[in-house]
Amino acid sequence: MNRFVITEPSKCIGCRTCEVACAMAHPLDEDTALTPQNFSPRLTVQRIGSITTAVMCRQCDDAPCAKACPVNAIVFAHDSVQVVQSRCIGCKSCVVACPYGAMNVVNVTAPAQPQTFFASRRAKSEAQKCDLCIDRADGQACITACPTNAIRLVDQSVMTATLQRRRELAAQSLDSKTQF
Amino acid sequence: MKKVITVCPYCGSGCKINLLVKDNKVVGAEGANGVTNEGALCLKGYYGWDFLNDTKLLTPRLRQPLLRRQRGAEFEAVSWDEAISFAAGRLKEIKAKYGPDSIMVTGSSRGTGNESNYIAQKFARAVIGTNNIDCCARVCHGPSVAGLMVTLGNGAMSNSIPEIEDTKCILVFGYNAADSHPIVANRIIKAKEKGAKIIVCDPRYIETARLADLYLPLKNGSNMALVNAFANVLINENLYKPDFVANYAEGFEEYKAAVAKYTPEYVADITGLDPDLIREAMRMYAAAPTATILWGMGVTQWGQAVDVVKGLSSLATVTGNLGRPNVGVGPVRGQNNVQGACDMGALPNTLPGYYPVSDAQARDRFAKAWGIAALPAENGIGITEVPHKIHEGRLKAYYIFGEDPLQTDPDVNALRAELEKLELIIVQDIFMTKTAMIADVIFPATSWGEHENVFSSADRGFQRCYKAVEAQGDVKDDWEIHSLMATAMGYPMKYNNAQEIWDELRGLCHLYTGATYEKMADLGYVQWPCPTEDHPGTPWLYKGFTFDTPSGKARLFGTEWRPPLEKVDADYPLGLCTVREVGHYSCRSMTGNCSALQTLADEPGFVQIHPDDARTYGIKDQSLVWISSRRGKVITRANINERVNKGAVYMTYQWWIGACNALTADHLDPISKTPEYKFSAVKVEPIADQNWAENHVKQTYGKMKADMRKAALA
Repeated sequence: MNRFVITEPSKCIGCRTCEVACAMAHPLDEDTALTPQNFSPRLTVQRIGSITTAVMCRQCDDAPCAKACPVNAIVFAHDSVQVVQSRCIGCKSCVVACPYGAMNVVNVTAPAQPQTFFASRRAKSEAQKCDLCIDRADGQACITACPTNAIRLVDQSVMTATLQRRRELAAQSLDSKTQF
Repeated sequence: MKKVITVCPYCGSGCKINLLVKDNKVVGAEGANGVTNEGALCLKGYYGWDFLNDTKLLTPRLRQPLLRRQRGAEFEAVSWDEAISFAAGRLKEIKAKYGPDSIMVTGSSRGTGNESNYIAQKFARAVIGTNNIDCCARVCHGPSVAGLMVTLGNGAMSNSIPEIEDTKCILVFGYNAADSHPIVANRIIKAKEKGAKIIVCDPRYIETARLADLYLPLKNGSNMALVNAFANVLINENLYKPDFVANYAEGFEEYKAAVAKYTPEYVADITGLDPDLIREAMRMYAAAPTATILWGMGVTQWGQAVDVVKGLSSLATVTGNLGRPNVGVGPVRGQNNVQGACDMGALPNTLPGYYPVSDAQARDRFAKAWGIAALPAENGIGITEVPHKIHEGRLKAYYIFGEDPLQTDPDVNALRAELEKLELIIVQDIFMTKTAMIADVIFPATSWGEHENVFSSADRGFQRCYKAVEAQGDVKDDWEIHSLMATAMGYPMKYNNAQEIWDELRGLCHLYTGATYEKMADLGYVQWPCPTEDHPGTPWLYKGFTFDTPSGKARLFGTEWRPPLEKVDADYPLGLCTVREVGHYSCRSMTGNCSALQTLADEPGFVQIHPDDARTYGIKDQSLVWISSRRGKVITRANINERVNKGAVYMTYQWWIGACNALTADHLDPISKTPEYKFSAVKVEPIADQNWAENHVKQTYGKMKADMRKAALA
């Protein structure tokens, strides 16, 4: 099972601390502070009707984004769905395929190529989504920053424990003499 | 890299932060294990520090004293000697010509600290000889202080922030914790998880309403009617505690009579609430073994605010929810040190430690300690009375310290016209602000993070902030500036550090005597009253059900409901209510200069409007619109939002272009003089040419920023 990060709407207060934490953990441009132009969090807070929650990639085990990608840039790795940015052509097929609106194609400034004659910086498209902060030593930035502990990482052990708890609740709700 | 302990300079939750400092520059912030925050921080706590690095995103830091020799002339940079001698000379002339009460001084409820507020009020009282000192508590929780002083004897939260999560029922009244105090919102969520019942009274479907057991969407301006109806139910259904009332309260018969006609049926039209919902709410509140009432600006920023505070206090009293842990009344203070500015006597009617200025014994004690013959005995004026007193010709000079009234006070167009009549305006701040732009003298000060100080959090907790970085430029600590002014005016004042000031203060105030710098070291937390050095401080008040009123009993209070002063009509059909958003703070001079916070929200802000009203007035979501009242007209962006109620619109108050305080009225509560920010009649109109509007906003904003930059860098 792929791991995924999820927000509990009952604890979310819609403060967007997670968005900033995410954007700072994945800067589009290493050199500058956040601006409206380079602000590209991989999760977004939604406040609609009676729900407030952050929406992000569910790391689908049968990921439609991966299936839609014509250049095999979206792969399964580290119990999650990851984008190999060097392959991405910015075609947006994955954006269209994602049922959660969790994929976003953005233009970033690619690092200068040291081997080339014209070592200039150039634009590059990237398909960006929650990567579970796979390269970050302290784990998922959004989880660390959330002031109400509304964001959690769900892996196989958490899922197993949750399912077990639900089964126990279901069993307790039955009358001991119930017959089917 | 070093870590420096400080307290967050934004809301009053009192969160402890470790600032990460490298080469005299703050590079990050992480949560420290403070008593109220236990390691957690919110958006502003994590990302609200880079204004210290002078990002110039909104306005530049002030780096040198500035002087304008003639109105309308450009600022010029001058030496401290020249600035002080000019300002002190003019103040002395004005005092000699018009008397000490022609001068108004403010404290600052923001990042400067308790020591500098103590010095500011000492400057007003001992040097100028006036009680004309006030702080922005006046426009915020002033009614809570005034109301609770009468009913219980202390104007502050009765219990502590950590206790909120162990109460069994929370009555949230006009208080949006998610936007104003996320760390308190977290405690409410934890209380809910521990089984507490949550009751929310608010016209907007706020975040806490989502987890409420009962949600009472009352009509804007019906608070007193609802609070009276609550009391009516408690009494008529025998839900109150007669023994507690008999032993520890007074005024029950008058109270009972005052609320007798306020049955849930009687208030149904006024409040728009189902009578059964009102009954359910009080049954739930009274049934809980421990219950806490939390309120905010939804209670205090009304023309009838002190009365409602007294009414809420009475609900806690008759149900016995005072004088023990996990209960009480919680006016959660909005600005990080508004509790502190009040504690320090930056109020026109109290000395440091809440001794009334009418208390001759206290005045004598302070006068002796300060080496002067006598202190003024008459109450001074509040900041909201300033424009009126200028109009009457009674105020001639205004020494504004760490405040931006032209952004945060009501009816700013009228205020500006009055301020311009003053003979002298002194502004002491860390940033160029709208108000600083009209000053005659500007004193540049060190910021939070650049000096050490003590703050008071909302629950009476004193905490220390350490100095993280050396300030850049020719700036001084606020208390040093006031000391130089005092000395130049003929009252020699000199302190070597903040601790000397603190020790002088605690020697004069029995509530604070035991709160030493040593006890507050690192993560130390000392809640007043702390009368002796071996006293641990007081997390909850009124032990033994003894109240700090003259009789020792809690006073009960009910009175007639009064509707908001301004009425909606065909010309101005909507009620404007001013509110907060989580990412910006006060006049935004600090948060507007923080890259992350400025990225999330910028000019011209939003007006939140219900979809039905948007349809009626032809407003499209995210379009720029005109919003106007009888006092002004501004551009803002429409946010069509089904969480707001029909007939009301909501704006946050920190924007320059979408400045809601150009629309608000200065209708004041008769006792606390707090403005009715929560209700002004307005109209919203679409703008046909959106391209013009977008350009207009961009150009106006650009010009304002450029003008302020030019002035600051004179």
